[in-house]
Amino acid sequence: MAEARNIESILVADCGTVVTKLLLLERVGGSYQFVAQAETLTTGKPPWNDLSNGVVQGVQELEAITGRTLYSRGHIVVPRHGQEGVDALVVVLSAVEPLKVVLAGLVKEMSLESGRRAVGGTYATVEATLTREGNLTAPQETWARTVRNMAPDAVLLVGGVDGGARRPVLELAEAVALGSSMLEEERRPTVIYAGNAAIRSQVTKLLGDITRVVAVDNVRPTTDTEHLGPAQSALEELHVEERLRAAPGIGNLSAWSRLPLVPVSTAFSRVVDFLWHREGNADRGVLGVDVGAATTTLAATFEGRSYTTVYEHGVANGLIEWVERHGMDRIMRWVPDEVEPEELQALLYNMELQPSAIPQTPRELWVELAIVREMLRTALGTARPTWDVGSAAMQAARAMPRTDPILISGGGIVLSPRPGQTLLAALDGLQPAGITTLLLDSSRAAPAIGAVAGIKPLAAASALDSGAFVSLGTVISPVGPARPGEVVMRMSISYEGGGELNVEAHNGEIEVWPLLDEQRATLEIRPGRRIDIGMGPGQGGRVEVLGGLVGLVVDARGRPLRLPRDAERRRRMINRWIWDVGG
Amino acid sequence: MIIQHCIANPLTTIRKRRELPHPGKVLMRIGDAVESSQVVAQTVVPPDFRIVEVAQDLDVPPNNANAHLKVERGQAISVGDVLASKGGLSSRTCKSPLDGKVAGVGRGRLLLQATPETVHVNALVPGYVVEIEPGESIVIETVGALIEALWGNGYEAFGVLRVVVRDAANPIRSTHINASSQGSILIGGSTVDAETVQQARDMRARGMIVGSVPASLIPDLQDASFPVIATEGIGTTPMNQAFFDLLRSLDGREAAVSGDIGDRWHRKRPYIVVPMPTQVGQAIQPDHPPAIGERVRVLRGAFRGRSGTIEGLPTRAVALETGAQVPGAAVDLGEDSLVQIPFANLERLF
Repeated sequence: MAEARNIESILVADCGTVVTKLLLLERVGGSYQFVAQAETLTTGKPPWNDLSNGVVQGVQELEAITGRTLYSRGHIVVPRHGQEGVDALVVVLSAVEPLKVVLAGLVKEMSLESGRRAVGGTYATVEATLTREGNLTAPQETWARTVRNMAPDAVLLVGGVDGGARRPVLELAEAVALGSSMLEEERRPTVIYAGNAAIRSQVTKLLGDITRVVAVDNVRPTTDTEHLGPAQSALEELHVEERLRAAPGIGNLSAWSRLPLVPVSTAFSRVVDFLWHREGNADRGVLGVDVGAATTTLAATFEGRSYTTVYEHGVANGLIEWVERHGMDRIMRWVPDEVEPEELQALLYNMELQPSAIPQTPRELWVELAIVREMLRTALGTARPTWDVGSAAMQAARAMPRTDPILISGGGIVLSPRPGQTLLAALDGLQPAGITTLLLDSSRAAPAIGAVAGIKPLAAASALDSGAFVSLGTVISPVGPARPGEVVMRMSISYEGGGELNVEAHNGEIEVWPLLDEQRATLEIRPGRRIDIGMGPGQGGRVEVLGGLVGLVVDARGRPLRLPRDAERRRRMINRWIWDVGG
Repeated sequence: MIIQHCIANPLTTIRKRRELPHPGKVLMRIGDAVESSQVVAQTVVPPDFRIVEVAQDLDVPPNNANAHLKVERGQAISVGDVLASKGGLSSRTCKSPLDGKVAGVGRGRLLLQATPETVHVNALVPGYVVEIEPGESIVIETVGALIEALWGNGYEAFGVLRVVVRDAANPIRSTHINASSQGSILIGGSTVDAETVQQARDMRARGMIVGSVPASLIPDLQDASFPVIATEGIGTTPMNQAFFDLLRSLDGREAAVSGDIGDRWHRKRPYIVVPMPTQVGQAIQPDHPPAIGERVRVLRGAFRGRSGTIEGLPTRAVALETGAQVPGAAVDLGEDSLVQIPFANLERLF
């Protein structure tokens, strides 16, 4: 790789579960811009079993677009030689299986909950939990059998505040040691110990002869503090080591790139963090959602603190497992057409069997967007308890904190034919509160920008400023008690360049007012006495806003969003909302 | 650009990997000829175990428990053997709950390990061993017909193919199955119901290949104990005509059938392999952009499951019913007019 200051062209290979994207970022004049991109099938599975195959296919498309040689004599040319090649190649990966983790701990609402959150922050899934759950004696035989039968990649052992419980934690460690000892050496799990720091050396000694132990800071050093960072980092490192570096064909890509492999969630989180610093609003967070085929990633930054949640389901892989756990009604309720359960179930199965296929009929599209809504809702349910939102909190305790902007990314959501469809799915799934701008990563460049930020932050910033994302619009979501149809907010819209509009928002309605992309307007908002638009109940004021592909949206449907139980009424209501946002 | 592909070919070179569930021993060498039922690799399942609380059961302090033991570390044991006993008025004994050995002694407890069980992997597909991953897997090569499907219930079998319906649109019914079906892999057209699956089980059929299976039947099929394969996946879509015609041409031949679809992170295609007595098969080359004249199958939408020929590759995006505009092809499905299908929803047929 060239010295960072000399990097003028960067090729990013983003290998997703289904699609591999190639993006070429180059210095054009004084700024960096994406000058070409291509996509192809990800080739990590049979018959190819080689990720580099898809990358080369994509690179050859880039060559056809740009007329430049990037691939020569069996490798991507890095660094550049004259007009051939690029200064740097960055590989971003999500096309790999998550780590299988067995979580062992003491108290469900304390250490185990923290352990679960730590696992949720990276590409890892909790396959089983070892806990006493009220038993007087420790079921060590059952715990050991679980470890032996599951043969997980890792055991995350938590429990006991620092200086607190010892014996119960050691009993868990003994059982993990016993279960691990019954596996062949190469199948034994790495034990990440993030419990009572006072017995760290005892736990390490007990397990160290049998398997690899990584001891990190306690996830619950005291009853009322949580410290997830070190445990999450240990899991991330293990994921890179066990999965990313073992991905089929990664040898070629690593040899060509010579830069560290970047998990997509890490890259995406960097972009969200960058947006927060660029916006510079201490009293608001920034949220990013990346809905992929296999996972849904939520990245958020509040008061400079970053949070990442990788939810183990997306719009294709693992759908059936999700439905078995949560029920099909959760998806069915968002579909605006009448659909037989058998038909819906068949469609979900086939989506899982053929994850690269796209919706071809309106019904298939509505089902896919229904899945998006539920993935966002469930992922958000996992993510929110990990957030310390600080001054971004709304007064209504259960309302979403103030987040502006919300970045929407991922092939599962950004490819909807109409911007209104994407916007409505995001609003239904996330149910934001207050005033926010929805940004659409329509070219799915966010992970690439995040990856570039790791080697050339200036180039990443420049790419963001050069319009990598488009605005869907500004959304105002008033929160507070109101009767159906009641006026919850009055607003005058003064358009830049002239023109004024005075409007009212009624509880239960979602309305779109004209405000074109890049058009500015000043809003004078007057909410009802108990209604909060992010300034406190009954508090209004003047706000400068930007338009977008959809416009200026007032989502006065209330929080939480309530859908009628009666199916026919519900479908009528959803159809009206779709109509209202131009979906 | 590359697109998905599916093989439904009467004579091709076929390679199938046979994997151990976890590391073990490969029993073959490169170049060995293998039969379907031949064991090609084996491994030992991590043995079951028990912790026996000797001190607790005999009601003695843990540090005294060793004095009452009748066995020692490493000793072989059988179910019912006395492991420890205490005499006197309150006499008690601990007996072995399993066949195996004493794996550990300490802190008033015994760790017993059951006799390990061996898991065998057979060849399934007759042919020659062409690749070995020591301790993990082998690849068997053969020449013959190969049909890849979309869904399977996880089971595998080797048997004689028997077409029992007249055309691809006919569902297989219980009346199609009788005593002569024993040992056969039955080929239906469109779909199957619970009664028919039960009849196939009663008549000891060895497998079933249909177009689609209803989603509600999947739990039953997962307990069927023989392979059920759906070439078109889940629902009611009839078997693709090209697949049906190929299977009909193979009626009466022996076939290896695998309904293994892997898990969500390691998807596999179920398959039917019919070995042929020849040395040369057509090579499959999936790494090229779609071309005019190629056979394709549709994966989504109103034409799902239909196959046809690419007649045009428009330079402009194709417009879908959803309003989306995406790259795609004009496909002749044998109708009066061409239909526009996105590349993402096409599978090239080899």
